[in-house]
Formats: sequence, C-alpha cells, structure tokens
Amino acid sequence: MGPHIVGTVSAIQEQQQQQIASEVALPPSRVERLNIAVQQQLNLESVKTRALGLSKAISRILDDFNAIAHTNGAPKWQGILGQFSMVNMELFNIVEDIKKVSKAFVVHPKNVNGENALIVPVMLSSKLLPEMEAEDNAMREHLLSGMINLPIPAQIEKLKARNDMIGTACETAEKVIADAWKAFGLGSRQVPNLVPTLDKVQAAKIQEQENQLRAAVNFGEGLKLTGDQRHPSSSLPSHLADVLNPGDGSHNFGESGAFSKNIPSFSSNPGNPQGSLMQAGQLIGRSVQSPSGVSIPASFDNASTPPMPYANSPRSGTNMMNTASPQQQQQRQKIMQIPQHQQQLLAQQQLRQPTSTTILGQGTMSQLHDFQGQAQHKFQQVPAQHQMQYSQPLSQQQIQNRHLQPAHLQHNLAQNQINQGNQLRSQLSQFTGSVNNALFNAAQTSPNSQMFGVSGGHHQRNLQPQILNDQMFGMAASSAANMVGIQNQQLGAQGGFGNVTGNSQSVQPSMPALQNSTQSQNFQQQRQQSQQ
Amino acid sequence: MALEILQMECVVQGIIETQHVDALEILLQGLCGVPKEQVRIHELCLKSGPNLGVVPSEVRLLCDLVPSMPSWTVRHVGGSLRGPGAEQLSVLVRSVVESKVSSNVLRFFYGLGYKLDHEILKVGFAFNFHRGSQIAVSVTSAHKMPKLHATEDAVPITPNIHLVEITSPATAENYNEVVASVTSFCEYLAPLLHLSKPGASTGTVPSAAAAAAALMSNSVNRLL
Repeated sequence: MGPHIVGTVSAIQEQQQQQIASEVALPPSRVERLNIAVQQQLNLESVKTRALGLSKAISRILDDFNAIAHTNGAPKWQGILGQFSMVNMELFNIVEDIKKVSKAFVVHPKNVNGENALIVPVMLSSKLLPEMEAEDNAMREHLLSGMINLPIPAQIEKLKARNDMIGTACETAEKVIADAWKAFGLGSRQVPNLVPTLDKVQAAKIQEQENQLRAAVNFGEGLKLTGDQRHPSSSLPSHLADVLNPGDGSHNFGESGAFSKNIPSFSSNPGNPQGSLMQAGQLIGRSVQSPSGVSIPASFDNASTPPMPYANSPRSGTNMMNTASPQQQQQRQKIMQIPQHQQQLLAQQQLRQPTSTTILGQGTMSQLHDFQGQAQHKFQQVPAQHQMQYSQPLSQQQIQNRHLQPAHLQHNLAQNQINQGNQLRSQLSQFTGSVNNALFNAAQTSPNSQMFGVSGGHHQRNLQPQILNDQMFGMAASSAANMVGIQNQQLGAQGGFGNVTGNSQSVQPSMPALQNSTQSQNFQQQRQQSQQ
Repeated sequence: MALEILQMECVVQGIIETQHVDALEILLQGLCGVPKEQVRIHELCLKSGPNLGVVPSEVRLLCDLVPSMPSWTVRHVGGSLRGPGAEQLSVLVRSVVESKVSSNVLRFFYGLGYKLDHEILKVGFAFNFHRGSQIAVSVTSAHKMPKLHATEDAVPITPNIHLVEITSPATAENYNEVVASVTSFCEYLAPLLHLSKPGASTGTVPSAAAAAAALMSNSVNRLL
C-alpha cells in the first residue's frame, strides 16, 4: 500500500508544480461552474440540503448521547429511536436521489491541488493508481487484439457486433432460466414493483374523502346543523356550561334564527309622503306581535336589528337630539304645500286605520300632550330626551296578585277605557286643522316610546311614567294593584292569560263607535271651516 | 384583550391515512426533536349578522380542551396573497389576526350580533419547533357534532383520513424566507404525504405504506 500512496502523492506534487508554473505564466483563470441545466438535472441543491439536514440530525443524536454520558442519566429511547428512524429514512432518500443521476454521470475532479488533496478521495484523483493503470491497459489490449491494425470505424463496428453477441447471449440465458422456473413451478422471477399503485376505485374514494374533509375544515361544509339539531343537548360540555345559558346560541344559529322581528320598514321614497305617513301612523303605539312557538326562553339581546341611520331612530339612546331625517324633512315640506282641507282628509284617513285599544289608550294620548306643547311653540320641534325603560321582574307578591285580581277591578278597567275614549273625543274636537297638521308632522318624527320587556316569562310593554301618572287613567303609579291590573290588561290583549282575554275583548266592540264619533265630529268641524 | 397580531401566516395541508399516522409521528419526532403536544380543540365559526355591515365577516373561536382550565383564542383569517408570484408558491400566504381571550368571548360575540355558523372538533397531536422559522405541524382527525355543542358525542368526518396542517407565522417582509423553510420541511415528509395549499387536493402517496413500514420496523423496540 505504501508505494501506491507515494505514487499518488508524487503525482499530486507534479500537478501542483505544473499548476504553479501555469499560474505564473497566465493570469488566474475563472472558476468553472456547472451548466445550470445539468445542475437542475442533478438536483444538487436538494441533495445538499438533505445532506446538511442529515448531518445536523446525526450531530444532534451524538450531542444527546454525550449529554446522557455526562449526566449518567437514562436515555429516552423512544425519542432516540425515533431520531434514528428518521436518519435511516433520510439516508434512504438521499441514496434514491443520487441513484437517479449516477447512471448518467461520472464525476472526475478537474485537478488536485494542495488544498483539496486531503479531502478528495483516492478513487477520484485525476491519475489512476499504477496497478489500476496496468489492469486497464491489459483489458484494452485483450479487447482490441487483432483489431489494432484496422481503421477506427472498423474497430467500432467490430466492438458493436461483439456487444450485440453478448446481449443476445444474456437474453437467451434469461429465457432459459425463466423456462426452468416455470417448469419447476417456482413462480415468476419478476421482482414486484417497489412503488405500489393504488386501485382506481380506492383512489377515487380517498379523493372524495379528502375533498369532504378539506371543505369541512376550511369552509364548514356539511357541518351546518338542521332545525331540530340547533337546540343544544340537554347538558352542555364543561367548557361551555359556565359560559352559556341553556338558551344561548340556539337563536343565533345561522341566518334564520328562532325568531325575527316582524316590523314594517319605513318607506324612504320622498315621492310618496302619504304612504309614509300611513306607515308611521300604523306603527305608533301598536304592539308588535309576540314570538310564538319558541320552546326555550330566548332573550332579545341578539335579535338582528338594522343599523341606526339617524339620531331619531326608534333605537336611539338617551340624550340624542330628536332631529328629522332628510327624507322626513322633505315629506314635511311637501305636506306643508298641500291645501288645508287635503291635510284634514289625510288626518281623517289616518284616524280610520283599524287600531287596537292600546293606540287610543296610550299612544295617541301621550302624543296629544306632546302636540299641544308643539302647537304652543308654533309647531317648532323641541329637542326631547327619550329615556329607555327596562321592566323589572315582578315580585312574588305582585305575581300572586295578578292571578287573584277581583272581577270588579277588571270591570273598572273596562269602564275606565270607555271614559278615556269619551275624553279623547272631546279633546279632539277642540283641535283646529293646524293642530291636526302638526299631529301628522310630528307623528313621523316622534320616537316609538315603547320597548319590549320580559317579566314573569311573558312579553309585555312598558308604560311610560308620563302615561301612568296621567289623570285620565284615574290612577297613580304608586298603586301596585292598579299597575298589575294594567299589565294584566295588556297581557290579555296579547293572549297572555285566558281568563283576562275575554274581558279585554269585551272592551273592543265599543271602540269602533268611539272612532266613528270622533271622525264625525271632525267632519262637522271641517264643514264649519269650509262654510266660513 | 391584548391583540397578538400575526400579520401573515404560511400554510399547507395534506392528508394521511389513519393507519400511517403512527409512522408519521415517529418521523416528526425525529425531525422536530421536541415532545409532541396533544390537540383537542373545539372550534366555533361565527358569521356576522346584517346589523354588522354589508360585507360579511367570519371569526373562529378556538377552545383548547387539553388543559384542565380550557383556554380560548379568537382568530380571524383574512385574504390570501394574490397574483402570478403567489400562484407559483407551493404555500398559501394569508393575513391573520389572533388573540388569547377570556372564556366569555362567545357571549361577547353573540352580543355583537354574530351568529354561530358551524362548529368542529379537532383531535390529534402537534409539534411546535423552530427550523428556519417557527413551524407548527398538526395531525388531527376532524369531528362533527350530531347536536349543538355536543363535543362528547362527536363523530369523525372521515374516519380513515387525518388532516396534516403545517403553519408558520410570517410578515410582509420575511414571508419569502418562511415559505422557503416550510417548503424545505415539507420535502422531509414527502415519503408519507403530499402537502399543498388548502384549496388544492393532493391525495395520498402510493409509496406511503412502504415508507411507513420502514419507519415502524426501525422503531419496533421504541418502548424499551
């Protein structure tokens, strides 16, 4: 082995001397780089990355072992074996990568110098070892024996013919061996394919499942619950039990919740002021239908509400200026231009709208007081602060009183409403056409002063203190029994209690008569004005 | 709630057959060099109601059920990087906002007017490590609930397939480097699964069974 090494070293020294001589003679040449196409084909970057990663992984394992040796601790075999598996896998991958290109390329270093001599393996040195050279020469002589004198093309032809002969011999041998295997029933000698192909049906099934999984995780497809599944299960999981009430979430599910507010929208078309007036009139003081068919107690907190376009939106909070929207101002100007008798006709059309007892009893009366004030201020709008009220849950005593109301109290309430209607009629007869005009102008801008509250599990309406303290109701807000009576009456009108419903309905027939008499008085008043 | 704003994230997804998940775990354990973490996340997707503006928005509330005291995270995923440059990337780059929140976050969003759109339960394991950038690899089985919030009765959407997701936080300045590190890491998993952008499906790797067998054979005695 010694002479070989000496020979190699001498060859390297010889090359170095030649290189030094050439460097003295010539300017330093540029470093040659691989052709980009070849570099991509070799996939060298990927191989380099993988090799570096593998090197780091091995270093990490060695470091782990060193640390274990220093601390005399027990190795965590699961982690270490996992890392070894990864190293094995990665080495396998690198070899596979190199195999692809090693068939087509042979690597020779361009030259060997003092710097790279130590790292270049002996097999890759540019000069062959002496015995290798001798072996190579002997092989060449054997192949070319009897052909050296022939021209080069003839030599090539002869070598090709020899190659073909060897190829034919190999094929024949393969065939003989295959026949022998068949004859002895030893099965096929073909090596099974290393990369198994998936069955097409199975591949299609997996593809479908993948699409389903990705769609579910990324877009929630196939996860939306149907109606009966939206109600939460009897016991919420621990992480949601503290966070949610039993009723929460179910009515927030999807676009169509358990219920939606059924409130007519105002027409914003300035070309039809009459229609807008009618809608406004219908909305004022009217009780919104309570949700039916809701099996769980649901709060109104999350019901979808439209964005608040103006400060005088019905949902405007406290201390907001009661200013009119541009559409409402336009409508008011148009109404001002209409002749007076047409305005009165509008007013009467408005009063003909079928209304429940709550309109005459609460809505209109409270507005009439406002209109008197507005008339005194020459119909200029006064900024008003509307305070939202939230109903407090009734005490146990009040709930008991509600069920034990004596019959005469309900009778008094019915009589009370008829009296209110009569007083209302006399009030209306005193109003001139200009006040009627103000009434309908203000009807658009006055906020809906009633809100929903939840008390005792039933939806009801809150009365403003102004109404409760009014003398026309013949009662004081401090009287708990009367207050409960009024709440009862309202609940009855909405079908809250069966036994009260009859009473509230018995009051209804007297209302059309009141409306008719009111309208007839207005007609008489109008006739007198036209005669004048 | 202090917002921890991740301006962007790089994400790829892939699938692996349930029978090969153990092999993938061994491979990831070797690659990452960190202990695995259990994953059990209840994810609630909320969508905005009509009162929150014309443009619909979507937030995801993630409740981590592994610790004894469940922790909540709110997450909003924005739009992805667009254009010819983005199409050439093998990784999806998208904007994202994420923050730890208190447990009453669900009530809070209901109060704002958001509505529950759907919910999902993810069960599996994850590795969080640093390799060029901070990378998180999660291998989970997605479950759907037969009734609202019934996590105990959740059933797998695809029992034979697990979802593998690799994410890495990025910024507008460094997302190219993050994409490179995620792509580089994905190469190591190539014998077992293909990874692609969330929109595109890849299928399973034909050689996954052989690779899994090789990994498992080397770790037969891993419980020594």
